[in-house]
Amino acid sequence: MAIEVCSTAFSGLGRSQAKALGYPDLPLAVVRHPFGSLSRAEIRWEAEECMGKIAAFAKQARNDRARPPGGGTDAVRLIAVADDAESVNLLFRERQWTDGLPIVPPTRERVEHMLSRSGYMPNEFIARVAPAFGEATAESIAVNAVMAGCDAEYLPVLIAAVEAISAPEFNLQGIQTTTNPSAVWLLVNGPIVSRLGMNSGINCLGQGNWANATLGRALHLVMQNIGGAIGGEMDRATMGQPGKYLFCCAENEAENPWQPVHVERGFSANDSVVTVIGAEGSLNLNTHSKDALEILRIFAETLVRPSGNDYFLCGEPWLIISPETANILSGEGLAKGDVKRSLWEQSKLPARRLTDVDLNLTRIRRIAELGEVTQDTMLPIATAAGSIGIVVCGGPGTHSMYIPSFGNTRSVSRKVRLNAYQTEP
Amino acid sequence: MTANIFVMNPTAAGGNEQAAVPEALDGLRGKVVGFIDNSKPNFDHLIAEMAEILESRYAARSIVRRKRLASIPAEDQVFAELVQECDLVITGSGD
Repeated sequence: MAIEVCSTAFSGLGRSQAKALGYPDLPLAVVRHPFGSLSRAEIRWEAEECMGKIAAFAKQARNDRARPPGGGTDAVRLIAVADDAESVNLLFRERQWTDGLPIVPPTRERVEHMLSRSGYMPNEFIARVAPAFGEATAESIAVNAVMAGCDAEYLPVLIAAVEAISAPEFNLQGIQTTTNPSAVWLLVNGPIVSRLGMNSGINCLGQGNWANATLGRALHLVMQNIGGAIGGEMDRATMGQPGKYLFCCAENEAENPWQPVHVERGFSANDSVVTVIGAEGSLNLNTHSKDALEILRIFAETLVRPSGNDYFLCGEPWLIISPETANILSGEGLAKGDVKRSLWEQSKLPARRLTDVDLNLTRIRRIAELGEVTQDTMLPIATAAGSIGIVVCGGPGTHSMYIPSFGNTRSVSRKVRLNAYQTEP
Repeated sequence: MTANIFVMNPTAAGGNEQAAVPEALDGLRGKVVGFIDNSKPNFDHLIAEMAEILESRYAARSIVRRKRLASIPAEDQVFAELVQECDLVITGSGD
C-alpha cells in the first residue's frame, strides 16, 4: 500500500500525477504549505494529523471497481464547432488547450497536410510526455504544430524535439512540475536551418521569424496538451517565464570559429539536429572589452550567484556567445574547451555565500561529487568544465547571453529524420 | 447561420492502465512502514516525528530512504527494497 504526503499547494499535482500514473485512488495526506518554514512544534502537530489520516487510510475498504484504460483525457478526437475564429478560439480557451494566444484551427485537412510530407505515419508512436505521460504520436504532435502555425516542413524538427524532451536525462517531469521558472530552449543545427529559413543571426531569440516562433511555440503546446502541464495545475511554476511561450533559435554556424554543437556531440556537420535545454531564463553578458582574458573574467563573474540552481544542484549552464566575441576568443588561440575550462575555474562560488538552509541542501545533493561540503568549499557551477554548454548565435554586437539551467537536467540532442523530399536540393 | 467545422483534439490519453490501490492493511499495528524522503526542508523532521508515533503507538517499524533531489524519481533499487520489506510506503511532494 502507498500514501502520498503533499503540502497544500501541491495536492492538485499529487492527485493529477497519481491519476496519470494509473492510481486515481491513491490516498493523499495534506500538510500545510510552505512546510519548509514550520517550527519543530508545528511539524509535530502536522505529524499527528498526518498519522491520524494514514491510520484511517490503512483501514479503509479496498476500492477495486473496474476502471477503463487511459489517462482520462478527452477521448473525442474530432469536435464540431462553428466555423469562425471566435468560436474555435473560445472552445480551445475553455478546454485549456491554448497557451493563451489565438490558434490556427486544427482541422483534419490541416493536420493531414502537416503530416503529408513528413515521412511519419499518423499513428507512429514518438514518446510519452511527462507529467501526464500522454502518448505523443506523429498525428497528435501535428495537431499542436497546426495550432502553433507551423509550416508542414517544420514537423520533423518538432517530432525530433519531442523525442529529445522525453529522454530520461532531460527530466521533463521535473521541468514541467517544478516551482522553478523552467522553459525548454530548442536549438537547431545543420542544413535544415537554412532550408526552413530559421534565424540564427541578428535578434535570433527575438520576434519576427516564422520558423523560430512557431516551432518554439508548438513544442510548448505539446508539453501542455500532451504532457498535461497546465499552469496552476500540474505546472507548479511560481512565476513562469516568457520562454514558456516559446524559446527557439538556430546556431550561427557560418560565423562560428569553433565546432557547432551538433558536431561537438558526435553528429556529422551534414546532419540536422535538435538540442533541448532546460533553461531558467536568459541574462545579457555585455562587455566592450576586446581582450579575451577580460571577457572570460567578466563572463565568469556574472555566472556566480548564490541563488542559482546550477550551484545547488550541479547543473548544465549554457552560454550563447556572439560571433564577434567568439572570434575574439578564438583569435587569441582559445578553443571552445579552453573557454569552458576558464569559465569553470573562475566561476566557483564560495559555499559560505549560501544561506545555511541552501548550504545544507547542497551538502546532500552534491556529496557524491564533492564529498563533505563546508563553508570553505569552492562550489563549481557544473560537475566538470565540459558540462558547460557553449553555442554561437546572434548578429553583430558585444552581447552574449547566460542561460542558467534548471539544474537537475541534461540537454539532449536528436537527429531530425528527413525523407528524400525534405533533403533534395 | 454559420456552418460547423471539425477540429482535432490536441491532447492525448496517458495509456497507463488504471489500477486500484492495493488492499488495505487492517491497521498499522506491527507493520513495516517505508518513507521516501524527498529531501525538501523539514520533510526529514516530519518523517522522524511520524516514525516516533508509529513506533510508540502502533509498535510499527520504519525504514527511510532519502532521494538526493526532490525533482528526480527514487532509484529502482529503492523501490525494489521498499516493495520487498514494507507493508506501506509513504512519499512526499511539495515544499
